[in-house]
Amino acid sequence: MPVEALSQLAEIARLTTFSMTPLLLAAIGEIITELAGVVNIGLEGIMLLAGFAAVAAAEAWGPLAGLLAGVLVGTLIGLLHGWISVYLKGDQIISGLGINIFALGFVAFGIEALWGVRGYYTPPPEAKVPRIPGLGVSPTFIAAIVIALVSYYVLYKTGIGLKIRAVGEKPDAAESVGVHVERVQLAATVAGAALSGLAGAFLSIDWLAAITKELPAGRGFIALAIVNFANWNPILALAGSGLFGFFWTLGEWVKNIGTIKAVIPIPLLNTIPYVATLVVTAGLIGKSRPPAHIGRPYRRE
Amino acid sequence: MELQECKPIVEMKNIVKVYLDGTVALRGVDFDVCPGEVHALLGENGAGKTTLMKILAGVLKPTSGEIVLEGKHVRFSSSADALSKGIGMVHQHPALVPVFTAYENIVLGAYRPGARAEIEKLMEETGLKVPLDAPVESLPLGIQQKVEILKMLYRRVKVLILDEPTTNLSPLETRELFRVLRSLRSRGAAIVFISHKLREVLEVADRITVLRKGVKVGTVSAEEATPTLLAKMMVGREVEMVVSKPRVALGEELLVVRDLWVRSDLGTWAVKGVSFSVRAGEIFGIAGVEGNGQKELVEAISGLRRAEKGKIVIGGIDVTNKHPLEVYAAGLAHIPEDRQRYGLVLEMTVAENAILGVQRSPRFQQPPIMKIKWSEVFSHAREIIKNFNVQVPGLTAKAKTLSGGNQQKLVVGRELTKKPRVLLAVNPTRGLDVAATEYIQNLLASLKEKGIAILLVSSNLDEVLQLSDRVAVIYEGEFMGVARPEELTEELLGLMMGGYSLDKAREVLSRKTT
Ligand SMILES: Nc1ncnc2c1ncn2[C@@H]1O[C@H](COP(=O)(O)OP(=O)(O)OP(=O)(O)O)[C@@H](O)[C@H]1O
Ligand SMILES: [Mg+2]
Repeated sequence: MPVEALSQLAEIARLTTFSMTPLLLAAIGEIITELAGVVNIGLEGIMLLAGFAAVAAAEAWGPLAGLLAGVLVGTLIGLLHGWISVYLKGDQIISGLGINIFALGFVAFGIEALWGVRGYYTPPPEAKVPRIPGLGVSPTFIAAIVIALVSYYVLYKTGIGLKIRAVGEKPDAAESVGVHVERVQLAATVAGAALSGLAGAFLSIDWLAAITKELPAGRGFIALAIVNFANWNPILALAGSGLFGFFWTLGEWVKNIGTIKAVIPIPLLNTIPYVATLVVTAGLIGKSRPPAHIGRPYRRE
Repeated sequence: MELQECKPIVEMKNIVKVYLDGTVALRGVDFDVCPGEVHALLGENGAGKTTLMKILAGVLKPTSGEIVLEGKHVRFSSSADALSKGIGMVHQHPALVPVFTAYENIVLGAYRPGARAEIEKLMEETGLKVPLDAPVESLPLGIQQKVEILKMLYRRVKVLILDEPTTNLSPLETRELFRVLRSLRSRGAAIVFISHKLREVLEVADRITVLRKGVKVGTVSAEEATPTLLAKMMVGREVEMVVSKPRVALGEELLVVRDLWVRSDLGTWAVKGVSFSVRAGEIFGIAGVEGNGQKELVEAISGLRRAEKGKIVIGGIDVTNKHPLEVYAAGLAHIPEDRQRYGLVLEMTVAENAILGVQRSPRFQQPPIMKIKWSEVFSHAREIIKNFNVQVPGLTAKAKTLSGGNQQKLVVGRELTKKPRVLLAVNPTRGLDVAATEYIQNLLASLKEKGIAILLVSSNLDEVLQLSDRVAVIYEGEFMGVARPEELTEELLGLMMGGYSLDKAREVLSRKTT
C-alpha cells in the first residue's frame, strides 16, 4: 500500500476520535439514566446549553473551567429533569422536549447578548482544549473511553449497578429490599445529563471551537439511537459511536473529492453517516431489550 | 381454643386495617408465631390473610394495633425496614427482577463480600437448590419461589412469611417445599404459611389460625385439627367436601380436536398430534404435570396460538386458526390459567372487567357512536357479583383491589354469563378457598345438565378425578391414554404422568402385584 494512502487512513482514524467522542459521552450518560428507568430526550438541548456555557467560562478562565462549566450545566439540567420526572412524576418526554426547545431559544439569544454577534461565535485559541502532544487527539477522547469502560464495569459488575438496573426493571422489587428508588433514579439522571454536558463542552471548546445554535447537529438524537442499538451496553455503545464517527469522517472526506462532489449533491452526502450507522448496527445487533419500567414514573400502591 | 406453649418471636395485637376506600379488611386480630414452628393462616377468599401478613412484613401500615418483636414495640416504615429487622415475606407473585439472575436477585441491595460462597452454603444446608446464574424469568415458578426464600435467608430473616406458596406448584414441587420448610423449622425459623388447602396445612403446620371476614375465629394445634373442623371454622357452616356428579345423557360432539400439532414459544413441538372430542353434557379432564403442553393446547383451541397442523371444531364450526373473537362467537368461553394476565385488566374497574369480551354486544353499546350504556354494564356486573358471590369494594373499584380468590370468581362469573356451548376451564379453582371451590365445582357439574361441553385442564388430580367423566393424561404433548376416573388408580395416574401409556402402566402394575 502506498505511504500516502496509509497516512490518509491514519488521518481518518484520528478525526474519528473527535467525531465519536460527543456521541459516546452522551450515549453512556443516557444508558445510565435509562437503565434506572428514566428517559431523557433532552440530550441535544443539554449539549447546546453546556457548549454555550463552556465557551463563556473558557474565555474567562481557560479550557479546564470550560469543560467543568459544561458538566455543571449538565448537572443542573439533570437535577431539573430528575426532579420533574422522578419526584413530580411528570411526563419525561415533555420535560426532555422542553429542555431542547428552551436551549435553542436561550443560546440564540445568549450568543448575541454576550458577544454581540449573530448566530456564530468563535472563541480565541487560548480557550481551546489542547491536543495530546504526538497523538493529536483530545484528552477528552481518552477520558470518554475510560468513562465507557468504567460505566460498563459499574453497571454490570457491581452492587451499585445492580441497584440501578433493578430500579429500571422492577422498582417495586428493588424497593422491597431497601433500594431507594427515587434517589437512585435522580442520581442516574444527574450523572447522565452531566456526561451530555461534557459532550457539549467538547463540541464547543475542544473539537469545533465555535458556538452556534446548530452546535449539536442532531448528535443528541443519534446518541439516543445508539443507546437502543447498543442494547444499553456501554461497550457496544463504544463500538456504535466509533462506527458513526468513522462514517461521519468518511463522509467529510468524500465531500472533498472533486469528482464525487460533482456527481452527488452535498446534502445527500451528509446523510452517509446516519444511513450507514443505521444499517450496520441494525443488522449487527438485532433485537434489543429496553429496561422494563422505562419512561414511567414509579408510583407506590 | 387458645393455646400458648411457645414463646413468640413476634406478636400482633388487636390489628385493625381499613383500606383507603373504606373496606374494613381486619377488625382487631391477634396473631403470633414462635421460633421453630410453622404457623398456618387459613381463611376464605377476602378473609384478610394477605392483609394481615403484609402488615407484619411492613408493606402496609395498620390502622390501629401494635406489633411486638422480640419484646420490643416496633413500627415498620416499609417492607425494607421490616426485612432489616428480620421479617421477610414471599408474596403470591414473586417480587423478583425478571432479567436478573438468581444470584443477582438474592444479593440485590445487600451485597457483601463472599456472598456467593455464603449462598452456596445456604443452598447446601437447606436443600434449596437453584441455578444461580440463570435469569429468573427463565425459571419455573417453583424455582423462583426458592430464589425468593433464599433471598430472605441470605438476609438472615427470623420470620419467614409465605403467601399461598403452593398455588403454582406441582405436587412434586410442593413436597419439596415442605421438606425445606421442615428443615428451616428445625433450624429455628418462625414460618407463617398461608394456604387454602386443608390437606397441606394439616401436613406441614404446627398451629393453625383461622380468619373469617377480618376476625380471628381461633387458633388450634395441628393435632387437634381435622379437615371438617377447619372447614367449619373458615366458612362458619358445615362444608360438604364431596361434589355431586350428575350423570347426564350425552349429546352431540361440541368440541372436536383432530391430530393437533402446536409449537411452544421456543419453537419445539409442545402438542404432538392430540385428538379428542367432548360431547354436550360431558366433562373431559386433562391431567398431567404442568408444562407438558397443556398451555399450548388451550391457547390453540382459544385462538391465541397457531395450530401448525390439525383441526379444531366448535359446535360444528371449524375454528382452526381463527381469531379469538370468532372462536368465542362459535360458543367458547375460557377461564384462563393466569387471571392476572389474561382474565382481567387489573387497572380497570370491576364493572369494566365484567363486560370484557362482550362489550360489543348491542346490550352495552348505543348506536350510532357506540356509546357505552353504563346502566346496563352496571346491572350486568351486579348480576355476576350476586350470582357468583364475588366480594368487591364497589363496582367502580379497580380489579386489583379484589382479593385473589374474588378476582377468580369475577372471571368465572363473567365467562359463564356468556352462555357458552363449550367451556374451557384451566385450573378453575386455583387460589380459591374451600367454599368457593365447592361452589365452582358444583357449578361445573351443574353446567353439564345444561348441555355444555366442558374441557377441564387441571394440575389438581383430585379435582380432575372428581369432576370428569373421562380423563386423559398428557405427557410431553401426547395423550398417554383416556379412561374413566373409576378405572384409574393413583398409581396408574402417577405412571402415566411420568410417561407410561395406559396399557404400559397397567402392565407394569400387574407385573408388580404378581
Ligand atoms: N388495596 C386494596 N384496597 C381496597 N381493598 C382491598 C385492597 N386489598 C385488599 N382489599 C380488600 O381487603 C379484604 C381482604 O383482602 P386480602 O387480600 O387480605 O384477602 P385474603 O384473605 O388474602 O384472600 P385470598 O385468599 O383471596 O387471597 C378483601 O375484601 C379485599 O377486597
Ligand atoms: Mg391473599
